[in-house]
Amino acid sequence: MTRGGFAGRVLYVDLTKGTVRTEPLSMDLAEKFIGGFGLTVRLAYDRITPGTDSLAPANPAVIGAGPLVGTNLPSTSRVYAVSKLPSNGTVSWCGAGGVTFGYLFKNAGYDHLVIEGRAERPVYLQIMDDQVEIKDAGFLWGRTVEQTCETLWRDIGRPLGVIAIGQAGENLSAMSLAYVDRIATIGRGGFGAVLGSKNLKAIAVRGTKGIEVADRKAYRRLSGELFKSIREYPYLKEWQRLGLLKSFSQFPVEIYEKIKQRRVACVSCPAGCKDVVQIQDGEFAGLTAYSSSVVNLFTPMLYGFKDYRQSVKLVYDLDGYGLDMFEFFGVMNFALALAEKGLIPRREIDPEIVINSLDSMTAWARKTAYREGLGRVLADGFRGMLAEFGPEAHGSAPSLVKGMHPYVGPGSALTWNLFGTQELGQVMDPRGPHVGAGGSPTYFARRPLEVFPKHLTRMGVPSEALARILPGPAQDQGPRDLKVGRLLKYSHAWFVTLGSMGICARAQINRFYSAELAAELYQAVTGIPTDLPGLRRKVDRVWTLYKMANLREGFDRKIDHLPEQWFQAGGFKNYVTDQPLSREEAEEMINDYYDEWGWDPETGIPSDRQLKNLDLTDL
Amino acid sequence: MSKYQMEAAPENCTGCLRCQLACSDLYTKAFNPSAAFLSVELRGPACSIFFTDDCTECGVCADHCFYGALQKTLKEAVQ
Repeated sequence: MTRGGFAGRVLYVDLTKGTVRTEPLSMDLAEKFIGGFGLTVRLAYDRITPGTDSLAPANPAVIGAGPLVGTNLPSTSRVYAVSKLPSNGTVSWCGAGGVTFGYLFKNAGYDHLVIEGRAERPVYLQIMDDQVEIKDAGFLWGRTVEQTCETLWRDIGRPLGVIAIGQAGENLSAMSLAYVDRIATIGRGGFGAVLGSKNLKAIAVRGTKGIEVADRKAYRRLSGELFKSIREYPYLKEWQRLGLLKSFSQFPVEIYEKIKQRRVACVSCPAGCKDVVQIQDGEFAGLTAYSSSVVNLFTPMLYGFKDYRQSVKLVYDLDGYGLDMFEFFGVMNFALALAEKGLIPRREIDPEIVINSLDSMTAWARKTAYREGLGRVLADGFRGMLAEFGPEAHGSAPSLVKGMHPYVGPGSALTWNLFGTQELGQVMDPRGPHVGAGGSPTYFARRPLEVFPKHLTRMGVPSEALARILPGPAQDQGPRDLKVGRLLKYSHAWFVTLGSMGICARAQINRFYSAELAAELYQAVTGIPTDLPGLRRKVDRVWTLYKMANLREGFDRKIDHLPEQWFQAGGFKNYVTDQPLSREEAEEMINDYYDEWGWDPETGIPSDRQLKNLDLTDL
Repeated sequence: MSKYQMEAAPENCTGCLRCQLACSDLYTKAFNPSAAFLSVELRGPACSIFFTDDCTECGVCADHCFYGALQKTLKEAVQ
């Protein structure tokens, strides 16, 4: 059988030396680590020296797109990056709906990009098929994400996939993100700063080579069935109309309809969850904003903004600077608490910190992005603030997990209080709180347990594990025994499955896929013989290696910290019983999680035997 | 003579390029939007859809569109 899916090359860029080179993709490694997410982890593991500072030239930024990216399978555009990030120093995955970047990168003839070193002055990387150049970016430095992307599109032309950073990344903020095609974010935890520390303002790519599949007959059959199931899905049109807003009833649909300009899809996606909106009236009439979802643009309303136009304007500014909105609000609330306690000198509080004021938040966003005044501390996120303001500050900190603000939970942006895999996943993902890996709430929240087996089987949970996750009446155990920790293992495995292929993990999309289908598609596209047990083993290998990359840095169970606020009044509740969650219950879930992986519950470390079984002993 | 009359409705387009992917796959046996016989250009709120001179009006692009941005109509029906 011929091979397909993979572009077949890895591009290496050394910004210190100013050199680029390509190497053939090792098909041995590709088979072993699937591709995309998995292979990105593997390539990063090889090149990260434990203890390296996240902003040092030696910290690599490794980017990759899976073997399904570039085909027309639904929502196969995902782009992943792995690097050490400054918010907490962990080896972190970063992911984005790749918009046009993923397919253009693959079409240029590359599966992965490894960036190392630091350029002497600001540069951007221009990849036009085989022509790769490190170009001067003096004219882009100091500009917003929007200005950077628009300038590159104007000067180079389209199609052009762009990953770019704003001023927050340039100034090495731990809260900085990178952006894909200005509309999708990649790298909560400071990936923008990693690129900024390399003096790399942007990566621009265009490719024209094409992606072939190995078994066209099988591909046609499988993809045809998949498309049919999507076309027949009764809620497809509603998703296309509202996107994530469908799941956020607190935001007004009529306002969205008023400002909606266009829904934007990543390449090959039938759901199109991204938004372009334009404010129609008032002070900001004519302002056009882009976002992964309008839900992000409305999120400041969860923090007390009364006027949606002001909410959109603030997020527009944060996106321009390349600042993570969730972390920004967490840090500003912390700064306010410290100011009220007198722990921040009065003269530093300029202007007043008013969380629901556009003027105040806009000023603080700018100060943070440029590290002006107190912004020099805020830019370093919670880690920097706790170091600056001493032990007294700890008592005023909001809930923190691995040095970052959880996005779901008491005091967070998303305040639902059921403790499921997504919520525990904020602690158990080695990188800390981030959307995606722990599973989606929209599958499970308050769904009857009877629907779980079907869904869990679809996402690849072996039948013998179902009994450990969902003990049934035959075992005289009630439904309160949903084992969130055990289930989380398989949420992580499902995330690896999707990410390593290049499939979007959003609930609206992954519901049409199954682990079985993923194995069949992988075989049809790549030509690599694959069955479900074999795929499961590879998936386990990938997540285990990701864990090891962090254990190697000293991040064992000791940093799996459960915030006290989660167990206080108004905290999380048991997923099934709706009773307040206790710390003991949650700690037991962590034990379960490690036990399900077969890792030592005391430390989180895999056994030598397990590493041997996964063929990871050479590491 | 081609069978279909093609019509584009750029206002419905999301830039997913499923049309270009399908076209290139049919005619080049590879997914390569740059080789497709139509081109979608999305610039924020604005969108243009062009058919090249090589377009055979086979309609495969419309078959793969999920958003109603491309329609094919039998020429007999049009006449």
